[in-house]
Amino acid sequence: MPLNKLWTLAYRDLGRNRRRSILTLLAVALGLALLMLMNGYIAGVMEDTLQNSIRLRTGHVQIRASSYEEEKLSLQAKDLLANPDELTARASALSEVKAAAPVLWASGILETLNDSAGLQIYGIDTASPMYAPIRAAMLDGAFLAPDDRNGILIGKPLADSMNVGAGQKVNLAIVNSDGRPDEGIFTIRGLFATGIPSYDQSVAFMPLSKAQAFTGTNRHASAIFILLNNQADTEKVAAALRGPDVTVLTWSDLNQVFVQAIQAGMSFYVILDFIVMLIVAVIIANTLLMSVFERIRELGILAALGMKGRNILQMVLLEAAGLGLAGIVVGIVLGSAGVAYLATAGIPIGDKIASVGGNSMALGTTLYARFVPGTFAALSLAMLLIVLLASLYPAWYAARLEPVEALRAE
Amino acid sequence: MEAIQLEHVAKVYHIGAVETKALNDVNLSIAEGEFTALVGPSGSGKTTLLQLIGCLDKPDRGTVSIQGQDVTRLSANQRADLRRERIGFIFQFFALVPVLTAYENVELPLLLSGVKPKERRERVMGLLEAVGVSHRANHRPDQMSGGEQQRVAIARALAPRPVLVLADEPTANLDTANGQQAIEIMRRLNEETGTAFVYATHDPRVVAFAQRVVKMRDGSIVDNGANA
Repeated sequence: MPLNKLWTLAYRDLGRNRRRSILTLLAVALGLALLMLMNGYIAGVMEDTLQNSIRLRTGHVQIRASSYEEEKLSLQAKDLLANPDELTARASALSEVKAAAPVLWASGILETLNDSAGLQIYGIDTASPMYAPIRAAMLDGAFLAPDDRNGILIGKPLADSMNVGAGQKVNLAIVNSDGRPDEGIFTIRGLFATGIPSYDQSVAFMPLSKAQAFTGTNRHASAIFILLNNQADTEKVAAALRGPDVTVLTWSDLNQVFVQAIQAGMSFYVILDFIVMLIVAVIIANTLLMSVFERIRELGILAALGMKGRNILQMVLLEAAGLGLAGIVVGIVLGSAGVAYLATAGIPIGDKIASVGGNSMALGTTLYARFVPGTFAALSLAMLLIVLLASLYPAWYAARLEPVEALRAE
Repeated sequence: MEAIQLEHVAKVYHIGAVETKALNDVNLSIAEGEFTALVGPSGSGKTTLLQLIGCLDKPDRGTVSIQGQDVTRLSANQRADLRRERIGFIFQFFALVPVLTAYENVELPLLLSGVKPKERRERVMGLLEAVGVSHRANHRPDQMSGGEQQRVAIARALAPRPVLVLADEPTANLDTANGQQAIEIMRRLNEETGTAFVYATHDPRVVAFAQRVVKMRDGSIVDNGANA
């Protein structure tokens, strides 16, 4: 029997119990929309968090001295880069590089009369476009000038918790490159808020030259921080910069904890996806089985007229495909609307939850979904496949009915 | 040539532990073009006999031959092919496909046989006219009366130009006038097309149209009506 005629039969069979067909179609649609929302949201959260981290904390590529250990924030000359300007120039010369700048890290304690807080000092090249995000995030006061000898920037949340503001003086204590404690009085030049609470509460900026003088590291830098025009060029740039005595790390090395968390999170999501699809499969199988049971005698008539089991199987599968495809189209519309909403409005999670990830996870206070067309296409295909798989049993059941028994059915 | 030949056919149904002999050593032959009524009380085995002749079921013993071909050993698919090409069915409950129009119901067996579109259209319209429901071609079964539905079913049974049409109580769900009309149409088409008809019935007025009356009781043929 020609497929288009079988399709006519299948299509009209779906119209018989319109309410049931629509409910089943909605189950497919809502299932897919839910999958799109879940996957779009988690993809948005993961990608935004990773990009936050790259933008603010790690860059795409870093050059460090081979012996540098990040946890220690060592200031000993042997652990630092002695020629940061030369390395920066080399990196900047690569066409893939958007910005490269040396940075000096030190751990410090910020003190007021009543309070103190541990933080990480960033000695930065204040003129570098690398810090455009911080300039854009300034809430109060002004960004640092290159020759500022006693100014620092701190995050608004930290300032609020210590009850200080722009223009006020604070004490900053460090352990310098000789291993001796030192301290200095600094003026809070300005307050920034990047929207990443874990970052805003733990970072203080000062000009690189001042940081070098303060810590006694004499023109050394902890790392060259490199941002690329295109993340896909990471390996290429890293390879070009590798050399003796230096370690070149990429964003995936530098965000290892987070990348591993993403992978673990994704495998959990695959299980959730599977559960949603299983529920849809059960609904589809139930609907088709009911519709087969309701017309057993009619299927017997088709068999009596000489329709073969194969054609009956095809007919039920076509009914499933019809329901599935229509459900998927509606699901894509609903899912896209939901993802579009969450991509613009986002879900606010508040400072406390955003901070739980600590330094390894640059979570924003509002998390946004994102369109991931490849994932959505894969989910739609998987949904169609599940629908067809779920219809195999009802179709097989209908196809193997004995005509004489089917005709006897009430 | 014999359209149908049954030799020593027996069929037993098992319902739970109860064994019911539906047919018991039945011998019957029906020639091509014959118009035969199958009569007998309920449970006498008429429906079972029609199902065996129609290759819807297999006998437990004996052989059923259609135009000289033993059909008892055929696979399910081969029996489906044989039904499609050589046998038409008319059921008591009309048995039209509810989602298809009258035209599409008659067209269905032709689609299954792969008849070309132009010929399909001619045959379907010709048959709908022959049974007097061409004005209902685009109506679905639930928009037609019982009599009209049964006439569409007759047209459908004849569409593949079968050797034989089997009808199980074709007038049982029709009023007298419609029942009589249906059987008249069957008789006329039997004469025009030379297709053999075998119909089971209780109704004496319908029996009167038969060329031959086969009487059954308790799973056996008590009068094969060959010389009637």
